[in-house]
Amino acid sequence: MSLGFCFQSSFSANPILLFAGFESIIHEFDPWFNFRATKYLVANGFYNFWDWFDDRTWHPLGRVTGGTLYPGLMVTSGVIYHALRALTIPVDIRNVCVLLAPGFSGLTAIAAYLLTNEMTPSPSAGLLAALFMGIAPGYISRSVAGSYDNEAIAIFLLVFTFYLWIKALKQGSMLWGALCALFYGYMVASWGGYAFITCLLPLHAFVLVCMGRYSTRLYVAYTTWYALGTLASMQIPFVGFLPVKTSEHMPALGIFGFLQLLAFLDYVRSAIPSRQFQTFLWLFAGAAFGLGLLGLVIATSAGFIAPWSGRFYSLFDTGYAKIHIPIIASVSEHQPTAWPAFFFDLNMLIWLFPVGVYLCFQQLADEHVFIVVYALFGSYFAGVMVRLMLTLTPVVCIAAAIAVSALLDTYLSVKSPKPEENQAVEGAEGKKAAKSGLKATNKPVVGVYTTWGKGMIVSALAVYLLLFVLHCTWVTSNAYSSPSVVLASRLPDGSQHIIDDYREAYQWLRQNTREDAKIMSWWDYGYQIGGMADRPTLVDNNTWNNTHIATVGKAMSSSEEVSYPIMRQHEVDYVLVVFGGLLGYSGDDINKFLWMVRIAEGIWPEEVSERAFFTPRGEYRVDGEATETMKNSLMYKMSYYNYNNLFPAGQAVDRMRGARLPEVGPTLSTLEEAFTSENWIIRIYKVKDLDNLGRDHSSAAAFERGHKKKKVTKKRGPRVLRVD
Amino acid sequence: MRSLFSLFLFLFAAVVSAISASGNRLLVILEDVAEKTNYSKFLGDLESRGFQISFEVPKSESLALFHLGERSYDHIILFPTKAKGLGPNLTPNILVDFMNAQGNILVALTSDLPTPTSLVSLLAELDIQLPADRTGLVVDHFHYDALSSPDMHDVLLLPPPSATTRPDVKDFFGAGAGRDDDIIAFARGVGAVLGSSELLTPVLRAPRTAYSYNPKEQSEVVDDLFAAGEQLALVSAFQARNSARFTLVGSAEMLQDKWFDAEVSKVGEKKAVKTFNREFAKRVSGWTFNEIGVLRVNWIEHHLDEAGATNESNPKIYRIKNDVKYTISLSEYSWTTWNPFTLPGDDALQLEFSMLSPFHRLPLTLDAAHSSDSASAYSVSFRLPDQHGIFNFLVNYKRPFLSNVEEKNTVSVRHMAHNEWPRSFVISGAWPWIAGLGVTVAGWLAFCALWMYSAPVGGKRESKKTQ
Repeated sequence: MSLGFCFQSSFSANPILLFAGFESIIHEFDPWFNFRATKYLVANGFYNFWDWFDDRTWHPLGRVTGGTLYPGLMVTSGVIYHALRALTIPVDIRNVCVLLAPGFSGLTAIAAYLLTNEMTPSPSAGLLAALFMGIAPGYISRSVAGSYDNEAIAIFLLVFTFYLWIKALKQGSMLWGALCALFYGYMVASWGGYAFITCLLPLHAFVLVCMGRYSTRLYVAYTTWYALGTLASMQIPFVGFLPVKTSEHMPALGIFGFLQLLAFLDYVRSAIPSRQFQTFLWLFAGAAFGLGLLGLVIATSAGFIAPWSGRFYSLFDTGYAKIHIPIIASVSEHQPTAWPAFFFDLNMLIWLFPVGVYLCFQQLADEHVFIVVYALFGSYFAGVMVRLMLTLTPVVCIAAAIAVSALLDTYLSVKSPKPEENQAVEGAEGKKAAKSGLKATNKPVVGVYTTWGKGMIVSALAVYLLLFVLHCTWVTSNAYSSPSVVLASRLPDGSQHIIDDYREAYQWLRQNTREDAKIMSWWDYGYQIGGMADRPTLVDNNTWNNTHIATVGKAMSSSEEVSYPIMRQHEVDYVLVVFGGLLGYSGDDINKFLWMVRIAEGIWPEEVSERAFFTPRGEYRVDGEATETMKNSLMYKMSYYNYNNLFPAGQAVDRMRGARLPEVGPTLSTLEEAFTSENWIIRIYKVKDLDNLGRDHSSAAAFERGHKKKKVTKKRGPRVLRVD
Repeated sequence: MRSLFSLFLFLFAAVVSAISASGNRLLVILEDVAEKTNYSKFLGDLESRGFQISFEVPKSESLALFHLGERSYDHIILFPTKAKGLGPNLTPNILVDFMNAQGNILVALTSDLPTPTSLVSLLAELDIQLPADRTGLVVDHFHYDALSSPDMHDVLLLPPPSATTRPDVKDFFGAGAGRDDDIIAFARGVGAVLGSSELLTPVLRAPRTAYSYNPKEQSEVVDDLFAAGEQLALVSAFQARNSARFTLVGSAEMLQDKWFDAEVSKVGEKKAVKTFNREFAKRVSGWTFNEIGVLRVNWIEHHLDEAGATNESNPKIYRIKNDVKYTISLSEYSWTTWNPFTLPGDDALQLEFSMLSPFHRLPLTLDAAHSSDSASAYSVSFRLPDQHGIFNFLVNYKRPFLSNVEEKNTVSVRHMAHNEWPRSFVISGAWPWIAGLGVTVAGWLAFCALWMYSAPVGGKRESKKTQ
C-alpha cells in the first residue's frame, strides 16, 4: 500500500513540475537521437533497426547506427508502444518516449525498496529508500519527463540487477543468478555504464573471498551470473567481443577463474589430509598466480587484450583527458565534480550516507559488504566525473534510508523500556556477552526513556525530511526540468519569459532548406539538428570519429580561404553557430571555441595553433585587441557578422564577454547570412557556390559591392603568359 | 482543346529549339540604330536562323535586360559605341547578372573608339585585359592585306583556327576550312590578353609577328608593349560555370558587310581571294548563342548489376561490394538538331565514384544498345568499394567550347546486414570449431547417459566399510 504510494509519488512528482512550464518535449541533446532512433524502430521494424545505416549523420561517412548504439531504450519504448496499440490504446510514440523516464523512475523506487529490504529487517528502510530514490535530485536529473536517455532505464536495471545479485548470493540460487544475468544483459543493451556492474560484482566477490567468506553460495551465484551474463552481453553488436578482449572486463573473467580454483581447492581440502594440503596450497597458488600473470602480460603485449581505453584512464587521472583526449575533456559532464554538487544533488542524504554505511559495518553480512564496496567505489567515481553522480545516488539513498529508519525505529516507539527489565536482561546476558567476540554486543541494551527527547528527535528529523522534499522540488523545477532547447528567463516584473530561439531556428531549417541540405555545426547540436530540423549533419554527439570532428573544428577555426575548400569537399550547404553575445547566453560557440581549436590542433598541429588565439599577454579576447587569427577565423566572423548594425556606431558590445567590439565588423565572402533567430542565439549561414565567372569569392564580393578591380598593369615581375 | 493547345505549345517549342538551344530573343546594342545597315548581312544571317532581333541604343530609357526578375532577352550583341560609359541599364553588374541568369553576350570592339568603361570592368571580371587607355590597334607587318592597308598594316589576314594544338577539343570554328584561300580578315581591331582562368579560351590568336600599340600616343615609338604574338587574342570565348557564353570579337569591322564580300590578298601574293569572314561570323555567333557545342544530359540511370537482383532503376541505397552499372545519355546540339554526342579523338568521358575523394575513376564506353539517332549512351559496370558511406556518381565533363556537364547522383552505400554474411558452415575455416561444438555436445550427452545408467556403487562401499 505505502509502496504503491511511493511509486506513484515518484512517478507523478516529475511530469507535473515539467508540464507546468513547458509542453511535452524531448530534452537536451542525446535524447533527441534516442527519440529519432525510436521513431525509426517503430516505423521500420526491429531487423531494419538492427541493420540501420544512417546516411543523415556524419556526412559523408554515414554511421552504422544499428551496430553502434545501445538498443535497450528504443526497444523498450517500441515494445511499450506496440503493447499499447495491441490493447487498442492509440498513443503517440513521442508521448511514450517522453513519459518513459518517469515510469522507470517508479520502477527504480521499487527496486530500491527491494534491495534495501535485503539489507535490514526494518520495514521502514525500504520505503524510505524508495521515497529518496524517487525524489533525489541526483537521479531526478535523468528521470524527468522528456529526459529520454539511456540512463532513464539503466538506473532501474542497475539497482534491480544488484537486488537480484544479493538475492542470488544469499540463497546460492542458480535461478536468481540466471535472473541477475538476464537483467545484466538488459543493462548491457541499455547503457555503456554496464561496466560498473561488470567491475563491482567481481570486486564484491573478491572482497568476500579475502574476508574468508568463500562459500558454494558465492560460487553458484557468481559463475551463473558470469557465464550467462557474458553470453547475453555479447549479443549486443556494439559490445560484441569486448567482454573477452578489453581490460575493463578482465576483473570479471579473472574472478571467474579464481573462483574455479577456489572451488577446486575446496574439493581437494575435503579429500586430502590438512598437512599435505598446506604444501599443496602454496605450490598450487604460486603456480596459478604466476601462470595467470604471465598469460595476461603475453596476451596484452600480443594485442589480444586491448589496453585500458582513454576514457578509463581519465577515471584515475583527471588531468589525463585534458592533455591527451580533448574530445572527452570538452564535455562538461566529464569534468571532476565540484563539492557543492554533492549537496546540490543529494542534500541531507550526503551526511546520512556515512551513517548508513557505518550501520552496515555493524552487521557486515555478505550483502552489507556489497553496500560498503559499492559506497566506496561509487563515491570515488562520483568525485571524478560529474556524470557518475548518477551511479552513486542509489547507494546513497539506500544507506541514508537505513540510517533514517534506524533513527525512527529507535525514537518512534512509544513504549518506554523499564529500567528493571533492562537490568534483568543485562544480568541474564552477562555471561554470554563476555564470551562473544564483538565489543558492541558486550554493552548493555540502552533505551530512550523520556518522551520529550523522542519527540524532539523525531520532529527534528521530520523537519529535515520536509526540507529535503522542499530542496528536491526546488532543484527539480529550477535546474533539471528545463529542456535546455527552451530557455526560461524572468522579466523585471517576475513573469516568465520563454526564449525559444533553438526551435525557431530548427523549424526554419526544416521549412526553408532542401531535404538533403547538409548542416555543419559543432557536434553538440548534431543530434538536435537531426531530430528537430531533420537535416543531415557532419558531426553529432555520438563522437565516434575524432578526425571528422577535428575537420569541423579546423573549418571553424581557420580563415575563409582555408575553410571554404573543406566545406566544399564535405558538401556543406549551411553552417550553424550559436551566439550568446546579445543575450548574455553562456553556452555559445565562442565560449566553446577553444575546444574546437584544441581538437583541430590534435590532428593538424602545423595548421591550427591554440597559442595564436591568445593575445601576447595570454588573454582570450574578442574585442579590438583580439589576435588576427581570432579575427580571421570563420567562427569569429560568423558570430559577429553584422552585429555592429544593432548598435550605434562604435558601441557594439558583447554582453556575454563584456567586450566592446571593434568599430568595423567582420566581412564574409564565402558565406552569406541566411537566418538569425530572434535573440541572435542561432545564426545560420549559407555556403556560396563557386563563383559563376571563376573569380575568387573575395573579389566577386568586392565587385558586388561596387569596388572596381584594381588595374594590374603596374606589375613589377615578369609577364604571366598563357600557355595553352 | 487542351491537348490541341499543348500540341501547339509543343510545336512552338520545337520551332524555338530549332534555332538555338536556349531561346531566340536577341538584343543588339548600337551607337545608332541606323548603323545596323553596316551589319545587314551578319544580322540577316542571324534572322534567317530564326532570331528575333530588337535594336536599342545604350542610353535608351526603355532598355532593360530584366523584367520582374526574369531575363527579357536571351542573347545580347554589343557593337562599338562612342560614349565613355554604357549608361545605367548596362552596368557591369547588370551584365554579370545577365550571365548568371544564363544569358549569352557577344561583344565587338574596334580600335577607332575607346572601349566603354562598363565593358572594361566587365572584361576585367572575366580575366580579360585590354590595352591601357581603353584603346589599341593590332598590326602585323608580315600578314597584312596588301589591298586595303598597304601602309597602316592594320588589316590582318589570318588562317581559320585549327584544332591542331588541342586534339581533345572539338573544332567548331575552322572545320572544313583547310584550304589556303580561306582567309579571315581582321580589320582595325583590338587585341586582348587573357588571364589564366580555365573558363577562357582563345578562338583566334594573332600571328607571331603581330603586336598591339596605341596609335595616338605610340605612333612614333612603342616604348611600353602591351602584348605581342600569340599572346594577343583577337577573338576569345568565355564560358561561365552555368554554361552562359561570352565572346569577345576584337574587330567589329570584320562582321560588317564590306569585309564579308571583300577580296584580300596576302603580302607577296598577287592573287586576290574572298574572305572567310561570313562563315566565321556565323560560327562565332552560333557558338555564342548556343547553336553549336551544347551538350544535354538526357537521362542517367544506375542499377544493381547482379544476377537475381530486382532491376530497380536509380535506387537510393546500395550495399558495399555490389556490382553496379551506370549509364548516361548525352546529346549534342548542332545548328538545328540534337545529335548523338561523340567524344573527340583523344578525349575520355569519365565517371567518378567518390566520397570526399574518388574511390573509382572509370572511363565510360559507348553503349550502342541504349543509343539512338539523337542521343548516345555511355556506360560502365563496376564493383562498389568496400567502404560504407554517402557516395556520389559524378560525371564532370568540362571542355572548352562544350557546355559543362556536371552530374552528381548521390547514393548511400550501406554495410552488410547481419543476415547477409555467409553462414558459418560455408566457411571452411569454421569447421574445426563446429566440430568442437559437436564433440562437446556429444560428450556431454554420453556422460549423462553413462551417469544415469551406471549402477550405484555407494551401497557396496558402505557395506565394505562396515565390515
